[in-house]
Amino acid sequence: MAAVVEGTGLTKRFGAGDATVVAVDSVNIRIEAGELVMIMGDSGCGKTTLISLLGCILTPDAGELRIDGEPIDPVNEDLSVIRHEKIGFVFQLFHLLPYLTALENVMVAMDIASTKTDAAERRATELLTQVGLRERFHHRPAQLSGGEKQRVSFARALANRPKIVFADEPTANLDSRQSDNLMNLIQELRREYQTTIAIVTHHEGLKENADRIIHMKDGRIVTA
Amino acid sequence: MKTLFLKDMRYRQARVVLTTLGITMLISLILLLGGIMNGMRIQARQYVASTGADIWISAEGSGGAFIGFSMVVEEYMAFLNSWQGLVPDSASPLVFAQARPTVHGKSTKAIVVGYKLGQLGGPKQVIANEGRMFTPSNFEDYRPEDPVPYEVVVDEKMSLEIGEQITLGNEKVKVVGKAKSRMFVLDTPLIFMDVRIAQKLLLGNTPHVNMMIAKTNKNEQPVRIAADLDALETIEARTLKQTLGDIIAYYVDEPMKAVQFLRVMLWLVAGNLVGMITYVTMLEKTQEIGVLKAIGGSDNYVMGLLLKQVVLISVVGVVLGLILSYLFAAAAPIFVAINFVESIIVAGISFVVCCGSGYLAARKAIAVDPMIAFRGEI
Ligand SMILES: Nc1ncnc2c1ncn2[C@@H]1O[C@H](COP(=O)(O)OP(=O)(O)O)[C@@H](O)[C@H]1O
Ligand SMILES: [Mg+2]
Repeated sequence: MAAVVEGTGLTKRFGAGDATVVAVDSVNIRIEAGELVMIMGDSGCGKTTLISLLGCILTPDAGELRIDGEPIDPVNEDLSVIRHEKIGFVFQLFHLLPYLTALENVMVAMDIASTKTDAAERRATELLTQVGLRERFHHRPAQLSGGEKQRVSFARALANRPKIVFADEPTANLDSRQSDNLMNLIQELRREYQTTIAIVTHHEGLKENADRIIHMKDGRIVTA
Repeated sequence: MKTLFLKDMRYRQARVVLTTLGITMLISLILLLGGIMNGMRIQARQYVASTGADIWISAEGSGGAFIGFSMVVEEYMAFLNSWQGLVPDSASPLVFAQARPTVHGKSTKAIVVGYKLGQLGGPKQVIANEGRMFTPSNFEDYRPEDPVPYEVVVDEKMSLEIGEQITLGNEKVKVVGKAKSRMFVLDTPLIFMDVRIAQKLLLGNTPHVNMMIAKTNKNEQPVRIAADLDALETIEARTLKQTLGDIIAYYVDEPMKAVQFLRVMLWLVAGNLVGMITYVTMLEKTQEIGVLKAIGGSDNYVMGLLLKQVVLISVVGVVLGLILSYLFAAAAPIFVAINFVESIIVAGISFVVCCGSGYLAARKAIAVDPMIAFRGEI
């Protein structure tokens, strides 16, 4: 099987001198096409840092990264292009733009990728319908529940047909019913779009949905 | 989505409107101050230019006809009537003095112009159907004890009617006619009268005048003639051009230096205002900017969004400022003449200043780390 994301020896340090924190320490990781991977571990063990490296938001201090088979050169490449062409993000706190409706929030992702407005609107309509928000197209984030906001986030993350979606604690701000619904949605989206998904989570209860669990401790991947 | 930046602005409506109004008011202030100075310049020129005189003669050491204190004895000026290069007999005595006439019981500002009717220095006739010229006194064989008719012709803009009396010094004079308005700097109206009455009322009834003015022959260079006359021991002579320059420097540019300085300050304030508000807005938007970058927005994309807002606010603010300044100018209690070309230049500079400071603030804002999207509220 082809690796969608492959990191070798990935290392990221923060701070300097005595205060240096090695947030991610020589991590080797492969995520295969179509997989649903969950990354678990204690708070502060480096999960967010790892997916930021894999999602080209952070550049590693050492190590190599391939996305979709292509090596990434963080110095000479415009990482923003990789981010909007190949990667989708879902954040714990949703981070929808408050001044835009659900539909427009999904369209922004495509606007960034220079998609024409009418094509973007068609796709945003389709995605929001898929995530069950047919009745909420023109609602602002302030008028949506947490679960609904996270659905809009997933629709936004999928807008540019990414190779992989990274979700950082997507259920942490949802109640258990909302988070079950979201997991069901994620399974449905995988069936529909064959998207590769990596989810960072604390919720032991979500484990059963994963194809594979990656455990982290002190910046390293450990075998459970 | 071409209207993305507009949606953002609508969401922050109150702030956008306030910023725009702030720019509008600053721009119109800058333009009004310019208009006031321009109005002063126009008024500083219009009387002097209207006299038709090419040469202005004042006492030695006065620094120019309208600048320092100047008194010349008119009799000694008889030689001017046959001076080579001057139109024969064109030399005219002139009293030009600030005065505080009492009009309708109120002390007001005005300038008394005493001249010889028919000579240079004042109107040859009144406005049609607005009275008549004052009766000239006997000039040539005048003796101080001779009676003179206390008659004046006033600027049409003074709210005076024919037949009314005003008080000048201790004397009452009668308004007999109205002259076309030639207000001096800061809307100071002119009161025209016979030179002998001016001497009686303002100069202690002595045969002095403040200056002599004359015309040069058509084919002569005023500069050369002024230089020849200036070489004489007792007088200074200047051309019309020099005199206009003196007046503008003395009555407008010098006293208005502080205002010029203020205008530059206002520009800085306008730039600062836009920069500050953009910056504060950007701080508030840090999270949003971080998210836009995290989901793949390039620096240019985010910059585009922010700059469109800055440019729109600046354009609207500047254009409204332009319009408002013309409205204010029309309604102002003093003469304000906004120069169109200058207003366009001011608008241009203001636009650049506003956009520039907005750009600086935006550049700082887009430097935010997209990692911020993974963190909570900041
Ligand atoms: N920008 C940063 N500056 C300094 N230290 C950081 C920064 N980001 C993360 N860290 C540190 O790196 C470690 C890993 O953080 P993180 O990846 O957020 O952990 P997790 O997501 O597993 O809770 C933590 O010790 C954290 O304090
Ligand atoms: Mg984390």
